[in-house]
Amino acid sequence: MSAVTTIDAPVVDELEAIMGGEEGAVLTNVSSRVNRTRVPAPFPVHRWAEFLPAAVVMPRTAEQVSEILKLANRHRIPVVPRAGGTGLADGAVPLRGGIVLDVKLMNQIKEVDLVDRTVTVGPGINMLKLNEELRPHGVFFPDAPASYPCSLVGGRIACSGMSLLNARYGHTRDLVVSMQLVLPTGEIIEVGEGGGRKLRKSSTGYNLKQLFMGHQGTLGIVTEATLELAPRAEAEFAAFFAFDDYMKAHATVGNIARSGLGTIAGVVLFDEHKIAYLRRDDEAFIPMPPWVVSVVAVALYGAKVEVQAASRRIMELGRSEGGRYTGDEMADGDWASRHDRYANPLHGRLPDGKVAPMSWHCEDAAINFSALPKVREEWHELVASYRERYGIFDDWGMYAYTTGAYKPWGDLLTEIDVGIWEQELDDENWAGWVSLKHEIAKVSLKHGGSITSCHGATRAGDAELVAQEMGSGWDAMKKIKRTFDPNNVMNPGKLMLDEAYADENGGGPR
Amino acid sequence: MEEWRENAYNCFSSGHKFCREPCPVTQVTRNENHTPTAFHTNVVAMDKGLLSLKDVADDYVHCTQCGACELRCPNTLFVGDFYRARTETVKVVRAMRALMVDEGLDREGWKLWNRLTNELKNEPVLGVENGQPNGQEHVRDWAEGLDLPIGGETVMFVDCEAAFYRTSIPRATAQILQKAGVQFGLMNEQWCCGGPAAEMGYVEQSRRFAEHNLADWRASGTKRIIAIEPHDYVHFTEDYPAYFGDEFEIEVVQIVELVAELIREGRLKLEKPINRTVTYHDPCRLNKRKGIYEAPREILRAIPGLTFKDVDHVTQWSYCSGGGGGLPVEKPEITAEISRRRLARAQDLEVDMLVSACVWSERPLATAGRDAGIEVRDIIELVAESAGIEVGGDLGASAEVPEETG
Repeated sequence: MSAVTTIDAPVVDELEAIMGGEEGAVLTNVSSRVNRTRVPAPFPVHRWAEFLPAAVVMPRTAEQVSEILKLANRHRIPVVPRAGGTGLADGAVPLRGGIVLDVKLMNQIKEVDLVDRTVTVGPGINMLKLNEELRPHGVFFPDAPASYPCSLVGGRIACSGMSLLNARYGHTRDLVVSMQLVLPTGEIIEVGEGGGRKLRKSSTGYNLKQLFMGHQGTLGIVTEATLELAPRAEAEFAAFFAFDDYMKAHATVGNIARSGLGTIAGVVLFDEHKIAYLRRDDEAFIPMPPWVVSVVAVALYGAKVEVQAASRRIMELGRSEGGRYTGDEMADGDWASRHDRYANPLHGRLPDGKVAPMSWHCEDAAINFSALPKVREEWHELVASYRERYGIFDDWGMYAYTTGAYKPWGDLLTEIDVGIWEQELDDENWAGWVSLKHEIAKVSLKHGGSITSCHGATRAGDAELVAQEMGSGWDAMKKIKRTFDPNNVMNPGKLMLDEAYADENGGGPR
Repeated sequence: MEEWRENAYNCFSSGHKFCREPCPVTQVTRNENHTPTAFHTNVVAMDKGLLSLKDVADDYVHCTQCGACELRCPNTLFVGDFYRARTETVKVVRAMRALMVDEGLDREGWKLWNRLTNELKNEPVLGVENGQPNGQEHVRDWAEGLDLPIGGETVMFVDCEAAFYRTSIPRATAQILQKAGVQFGLMNEQWCCGGPAAEMGYVEQSRRFAEHNLADWRASGTKRIIAIEPHDYVHFTEDYPAYFGDEFEIEVVQIVELVAELIREGRLKLEKPINRTVTYHDPCRLNKRKGIYEAPREILRAIPGLTFKDVDHVTQWSYCSGGGGGLPVEKPEITAEISRRRLARAQDLEVDMLVSACVWSERPLATAGRDAGIEVRDIIELVAESAGIEVGGDLGASAEVPEETG
């Protein structure tokens, strides 16, 4: 690991000057830095101090962000953007100290356009809060990840997040119409489909917008986003089907995904280990008979006239491979509470069955529908072997979500949830963890998948495989990085992008 | 610290941060150090030797102890009871503040506030500078002309803000109870309940005040306390039993529940129409801490002439006045901004009055209401008015009625 960048007093003074002397806008006290080192993903707590930033800045305007980045270039100081800090791949974790640029104060709603159907916001706003404001207008911003109550728009863009309602409404990348961002060297630019800020389709020039989706803070900082407004769904329908066999459930997902029903918002497949995990608290999870080893959940969103008709077809398709409808109570309760129950540390179990609070790692991959059963087998085998060897891991089962925006067929966001007893981490256990992650990612690649569908490949274990996955595109990606960020100030150390500068300094990271 | 280690790790491990957006202080400062998750992360970091109490002392000032974070915690919502591990955040803040007092790291404003409370035996709600126009010799001044007895089976406990600042509330309460035929008296020697001291970390003082009040009640044969204020109600129902254990034999009644019952049973008739359009502010300690949200709505719907535009109590988990947990003493600018935002919510509803049921919320809310053109009143004041009572007393910050509603 290369040296952590500290900041001397004159630089802090410059930051203060950029922020106009606003109290609390530049934070260098240790508590502010400690609280901005990690995200919810497992963290090497025994090495916490290595990840401390030198300073935290909370800008309010694009101009301030621009000046901070210019300063960072002058002094060669790393800058790590941070929105909610709720990502699961360490995008917001500083690897080399420097400045954490925290956008949470940029959370204004700047314009609601009910005619051309856009809402323009700062990157620090949360989707749940945004939708509370939009509700009276009968519209909503339909980006709905599991972190819906806590993640922020800036982070959603930087990670190119996944929305559970993607089959109906698309993902973050489909829901950002245009955005303003500050490039690593400080220029403020607008990127969209083409010209106007509110256009959905254009053929003029390169489509720069998608370049800035999922860059994990390595290519700039979003300072404003113009987002899609969808009509609030008049009707929602959810149904859960239970299976005595995983392959029947898998086939059912395929049947539903290929049905052509336009109101499908998402289909979710729970495997046996996930059911067992949820059953650990049989008071909270609605009890199901012991023969149930797999569940398929479907959600429909849309106008009443289309959802009602489609729901009848879903009830047939859900049973097409022997699935049994689990009842209205689960349909209403579990879908409504989907954001809250996605992982719970208190369910952690050591190999001897003892309860231990565990951190949740959601290893996400993009896997083709056909490869899912094989990937599932290999992943569980891997986790079982590491669990036995290290004693601090736990298998919390797998979900697979349809993930093609507006077309739920073909591939799935496939996740295996691994519990990790963080309090017990030391160098050996941490190395074991990174190795497990690495092996899980390799399985994804082996089966023609991607090592991540929505979290990003910025964590140790994944990051070393970025070049391999990018393949023949890797050189182009490095050129882009070096062009936009000549001094490697933006989130350095992530995604193997230090390689982009290898010619300049003999191969080592700057 | 050791006591809170496991609790902190349960949050640290989860890291979901669903508690943040509902947090009224986080909404204003957007600073991660002022979030419920930071309050637990700090404990873990202290355990790991990265932070000292001095490093985090300022963080723990940024909390109104409203309890929104605890309601929104996924650990608590789904499996907290199963594992007997509901996330405690308010208690952590209080414990850390108590440690700050122990180690001399308490904030200057709180130090002064609690020193004066200790001297006066009630909070210095009329100002911390110069001579104190309040104090024990004035603790019952608000009741002038009401002919209230001392002691008895039922005692009405009047908190400091109401006794000295917004005297219209205890006057309204007392006259409602008289009119409904409820027998009650006042304390022989009423000290501050001790709750604010406990919230700011002055545990010994809080307990000493509690001991005094309990002794006073026992000496006059009191069996039941009517808490006219939500902070007192939390303190009497949570801290007093914690201090005194099974020996604490006093029944505690919250005024809005009692008044709702009096109206329901026909013992209190509300006949004078109040022709205003109002919304209700759920006081945090009633709604979020004690789950009392139906009674005040029942009362408002019983007042003739009133147009009541309700906002459901779950949405109001994210609302606050900023008046609790000692925040206005140390960070008045944050309190003012929280109240300003609460009034903006009321403006969206196009009401001309915001009704609360917590005297501590009403000073910052009414101050913000003057700018927003919305009058802020206490629910009990409205009940008294509708019952045809000439209340009297001082309306505090609500005395100056906004022009638009005047």
